[in-house]
Amino acid sequence: MAADANLARLLEHPAIWRGRNAAPPAVLPSGFAALDEQLPGNGWPRTGLIEILVPRFGSGELYLMLPALGALSRALGARWCVWVAPPLVPFAPALSAAGFRLDRLAVVEAGPRALWAFEQTLGSGACDASLAWARRPQPRDIRRLQLAAERGRTLGVLFRPRRAAREASAAVLRLTLEPLGSGVRVSLLKVRGAARGAVELSRPGGWPF
Amino acid sequence: MHPPLIRIDGATAPSEARRTLERAGAATSLRALPAAPVLTEHPELWAGLYLRDAQPSTLEQLAAVCAGRFTPRVSLAAPDGLLLEVKGSLHLFAGVAGLTRALANECLRLEMQPVLAFAPTPLAALVAARARKPLVVMELAQLTGKLAPLPLAALRWPAETLARLSSMGVRTIGAALRLPRAGFAQRFGAAQLTMLDVLTGRAREVRAVFQLRERFRRRRELGCELTNRDWLLAALTPLLAELETFLIARDCGVMELECQLLHRQRRATRCLLQLAAPASDAAHLGALLAERLGTLNLPEPVRALEVRADTLFPRTPLTHSLWQAGEQGGGGTSAEAGVLLERLRARLGSGAVHGLCELQEHRPESAWGRTAPPPLAAAPTPAAAPGGAAGEAAVRRPLWLLKMPEPLAARAGMPRRRGGALHLVSELERIESGWWDAGEIERDYYTALDIHGVRLWVYRERHAPHGWFLHGVFG
Repeated sequence: MAADANLARLLEHPAIWRGRNAAPPAVLPSGFAALDEQLPGNGWPRTGLIEILVPRFGSGELYLMLPALGALSRALGARWCVWVAPPLVPFAPALSAAGFRLDRLAVVEAGPRALWAFEQTLGSGACDASLAWARRPQPRDIRRLQLAAERGRTLGVLFRPRRAAREASAAVLRLTLEPLGSGVRVSLLKVRGAARGAVELSRPGGWPF
Repeated sequence: MHPPLIRIDGATAPSEARRTLERAGAATSLRALPAAPVLTEHPELWAGLYLRDAQPSTLEQLAAVCAGRFTPRVSLAAPDGLLLEVKGSLHLFAGVAGLTRALANECLRLEMQPVLAFAPTPLAALVAARARKPLVVMELAQLTGKLAPLPLAALRWPAETLARLSSMGVRTIGAALRLPRAGFAQRFGAAQLTMLDVLTGRAREVRAVFQLRERFRRRRELGCELTNRDWLLAALTPLLAELETFLIARDCGVMELECQLLHRQRRATRCLLQLAAPASDAAHLGALLAERLGTLNLPEPVRALEVRADTLFPRTPLTHSLWQAGEQGGGGTSAEAGVLLERLRARLGSGAVHGLCELQEHRPESAWGRTAPPPLAAAPTPAAAPGGAAGEAAVRRPLWLLKMPEPLAARAGMPRRRGGALHLVSELERIESGWWDAGEIERDYYTALDIHGVRLWVYRERHAPHGWFLHGVFG
C-alpha cells in the first residue's frame, strides 16, 4: 500500500531510532530448519549457557548440537571445543565423519571437579564451545557458568537429567529433548526474547537417522 | 658438548672432506669456515688441564668455576680434559706461575689433582698435559722442539695406527713429525695428519666454548612452622618476585618450576609445575602454584621453602590480535589456550587434558586414540566437507563408545536391556579383524532401539556362545 511505503520510507530516516531495533545477537545456525524458526535470531545464541535436559543419556542430544559444533570447528581461526567429563568415550571416527575437526577437540577428565573445570573453560576465552555433563549443579553454579560464558565469549552446553526442569536456571536457553519413534521432540522451556514452544524434528529431512 | 671442529683445506673435494670426517669418528656436519688468520698475528696461550678419572659433573663444575674466575674462553675436552685461553689473564694472575697456583688451588677444592701445561695451540697444551709433562711454551717457534719427546699415545689415535707406527720405530711426536707428509696421509689417515698440523700450529683449530648453565635456586627459612596454604603462598610471593626479576634480566622464561616444602623430620614435599609456554610473570606462576598447593596434603608443618628453576628458555613476546575472539572471524590467541591448559593441568593432573585422533582400524575399540591436547592455534588448512561413499559407513558409527563392551541378557535369541527387548532396526554389519595379533574379533553389529527410544550399537559374537553385547550409544 502507498501509505505503508511512505511510512517505511519515513522510518528509514537516520535521525529516527526505533526502540526495538537493538543489534541482533550473534547466532549460530543449528542445522535444523524447523528448530531455527523457533529460536530467536534463527539459531543458537553464539555466547552463553544452553541447558539441554534429557530423560536419559543418548536420547539424541549430541546429534542436536553436532551440526553447529562442526561448523564452529571448521571456521577460520576456530578456538577449542572442550568436552568436560564426558560419560562415555567420544568415538573419533564418527565425529570426524560428521564434519567435526578433531584437531580442535579436547577432552578433560575432571572427575569430581567437573563444574570447576567447566567454569574455567567457559571463562578463559580459549574455547568456542564447551560441553559438560554435570551431576547436580546448584542454581548459583548455573549463574556463575552463565557469567563465565559471557566473559569468555563461549557457547556453553550443559546436559542435565529432565527432572531438573522444575528448578529455576539462569541459562540463556533451556530445552528438553524426547525421542519419538520417528525422530525427536524438542520443547523450548526458556527462550530469551521469544515464546516457548515445541518443535518436532523427524526423518527424513530433519533427523540424521 | 660439541665435538671439536676440524678444519679441512678449501681445495679438498666435499666427498673427500666428508670421508675425512667419518674417519675422524666425529659426528659433525660439513661447514665452510672462512680462512682463519695465521696464528702469529693473534698469539694465544692455552692452558690444558688433564684430570685423571674425572666425573662429567665435576668437569662441568670446574669449567663453571674457571669460566667465572679466570677466562671466558673455556672449552671441555671430554672425558678428562679442560682447555682455557689465558693470554689475556696472565697479567691479572702474576704470570704463568701465579695462574698455575690459582688453578691448582681451585682443583684442590674440588678434590682433583690436575696436570697443567701451557702452549700456543690448544691441542698441544692438552697433549702435553695428557703426557704428564707440565710444559710451558710461550712462543710458537719453540713448540715443535718441546713437543718432540712426547709419546704418541698422548694423541689418542686408534690402537692399530699406533701399533703400526711403533712397529716402524716411530714412538714420539717428533719422529712422527719427521715422516714425509705425502705418504703419511695415505698410510695412516688424513685425520691424523690434520691433527699433527693442528698440533704444531700449521692449521687452525676452533674449539666450542663452554656455556655456563644458569639456574635459579632460592631458599627461604620461615620464622615459624606453617600449615595454612594461604600463608604459604604469601611466603612464596617474594621468592617468585625474585624469580621474575632474574628472568626479566635475562629475557627468559621457565617451563618447569619446582617448589620444595621442607619439613622437620619427613622428606621434603615436591610441588612440580609444568607450563605450556615459557612464562615469567610472578602473578601467573603464583596462581598456578596456589592451585597445585591446594591438591597437596602436607604431612607436617613447613619450616622452609625452596624455589628452583633449572632450565631457562628464551621468552616469546606476547602478540595481541586486533579482533577479539569470536568477532569477525578473529581467533583466540594461543596465550589464552596455554593459560587454560596450565590451569587445568595444575589442578587435575598432567594427564587430564587430551585430544582424540582416528586410527585406521576395523576393530572399533582400536579405531580411536588419545593424543596430546590440540594445537593452541588453529592450522589454516581448510577441512574437507563430510560425505561421500566412505563417509556413509562411518556415519553409521555411534558417537559414544563404551570402554568395555557390556554383556546383555538375552531371551529367545534377542537382547534385552532395562527391562525391555531391544528392537533391531538396521541390517547387520560383520566385522572380522585382528587375526594377526591377539585381539581377534568376529562380530555382527546392529543398530538397536530400546523401549525408551535410545539408539544403541550392539553386537553378537559369531563364535559360541553367541553372546550379545552393548558397544556404543548413538546420540
